[in-house]
Amino acid sequence: MTISTKLLGMASAGVLLAGQLALVPVASASDPSMVEEGKALAFTRKKGNCLACHIMAGGKAAGNIAPPLGAMQSRYKSKAELKAQIADATVKNPETSMPPFGRHKILSDAEIDKVVEFVWSL
Amino acid sequence: MKHLLKKIAMLAVAGGIAASAQASPEADREAFQNFYKNRFASVPMEEYPNGVYSIDPVGRENWEAIEEFPPYETFIDDGQEMWEKPFANGKTYKDCFADGPAIAGIYPLWDKKNGMVMTLPLALNKCREANGEKPLKYKKGAINAITSYIAFASRGQKTNVIIPKDDPRALEAYEKGKKFYYTRRGQLNFSCANCHLQNAGMKIRSEVLGPALGHTTHFPIYRSKWGGMGTLHRRVTGCNKQVRAKPFKAQGEQYRNLEYFLTYMSNGLELNGPGARK
Amino acid sequence: MQNKMIGYVMILAVLLFGGLSTAQAAKAPNPEAAKVERMIADADKARKRAASVEGEWRDVGKMLKKAKAALAKGDYKTAKKLAAKAKSQSEMGYIQAVAQKDLKMPSYLKY
Repeated sequence: MTISTKLLGMASAGVLLAGQLALVPVASASDPSMVEEGKALAFTRKKGNCLACHIMAGGKAAGNIAPPLGAMQSRYKSKAELKAQIADATVKNPETSMPPFGRHKILSDAEIDKVVEFVWSL
Repeated sequence: MKHLLKKIAMLAVAGGIAASAQASPEADREAFQNFYKNRFASVPMEEYPNGVYSIDPVGRENWEAIEEFPPYETFIDDGQEMWEKPFANGKTYKDCFADGPAIAGIYPLWDKKNGMVMTLPLALNKCREANGEKPLKYKKGAINAITSYIAFASRGQKTNVIIPKDDPRALEAYEKGKKFYYTRRGQLNFSCANCHLQNAGMKIRSEVLGPALGHTTHFPIYRSKWGGMGTLHRRVTGCNKQVRAKPFKAQGEQYRNLEYFLTYMSNGLELNGPGARK
Repeated sequence: MQNKMIGYVMILAVLLFGGLSTAQAAKAPNPEAAKVERMIADADKARKRAASVEGEWRDVGKMLKKAKAALAKGDYKTAKKLAAKAKSQSEMGYIQAVAQKDLKMPSYLKY
């Protein structure tokens, strides 16, 4: 992590404190480096491997088990809602095939935040 | 006391299974087969023994080319040699299996005497051990030669798993196999059904997920990914590992019961082993 | 009299120091190592519990093996991390299996 992102994190933390919602991750404007890191996590087989099932821009040889990822900001009200879906999709649909990335710690919380940033940008 | 509590809990679990599985095996099979009939309306039932190639025209072309010079051919020959060569005591497999070698169609079967599902590889090893020979390993190696020969000789027989009514333990074993099939496992939280029922025909990356119907008809298989032959239990071990679950022992109770259930689901389908797969 | 006293003191000293040093040896050279050892034992217990309901995950055994190797090398940080992960995965596997103790047939199968 660079100093500037650290500063940004501190600044956004201050904003959040002022806005009371301490649980909402980061600021709403996407941090480009986080989006890039999230993309790498989403595409890598040993990490998110989202491409196994989801078609999305920039990804090659994607599967089609699950809906393509696009126009995410019209499908989810907030990043928090999107994060909840990635963390445990069985909450909304007990029969889903999607692995519970958060509940089973397939990705760490920080990693999921990055993936959220990337997917939110699609 | 603790032991007793554990037993009670286990009984409760078993009761739970029985209660939620009101359907008879026949009703299970019908629902199972109807699922595929509805999803792949243009695929005739006789096609399912061809596995994923029954529904994937691109993969099929490649497969048919491979089948022209089957990579499992030498295994059939080696298996025939094993079948005919007497054990050290002068006896042969034929002394254990009078109807052999075309005996694949009767397995897996319920072994009432031992209260367990008997599979072909297990029966072969029992024969070997009864004749003072070392048992074969259950995933790789010579077990695939002898079962290739037997599978080849049994081609054209129909899958016909029987769950005898005179022994409730047989139905119990079937129910356990069924439970295994629909239970999510491993860090990735997939059940067998998630991939091979719910998402059969869909693509995971660029691989088409094969239908479970017909999964048991063509083992052992030569798998290009392995660069060799493997048993059904070897294949299932791979599935469990892929979802990040600890696999169970090949020919252990879990996989035997699973084979009992899964093969029952394919009742009526023709045996066509050995097979070749990606 | 005085000689006797000196003798007693010496015996006492030997007993004391000897006792102390053996106690220390039995306690293992390092309290941190003992702590890590307990963590690994705990995680292995959790693993066995998950296995008892057929819920063990793939890599837990490997993690514990690596944790033991790290402990043997004195790399307590790595050993602790691995033991904690093995325990956490065992607990998740146990919960996963127990949550499904009653078979629920999927809705897409029509009876």
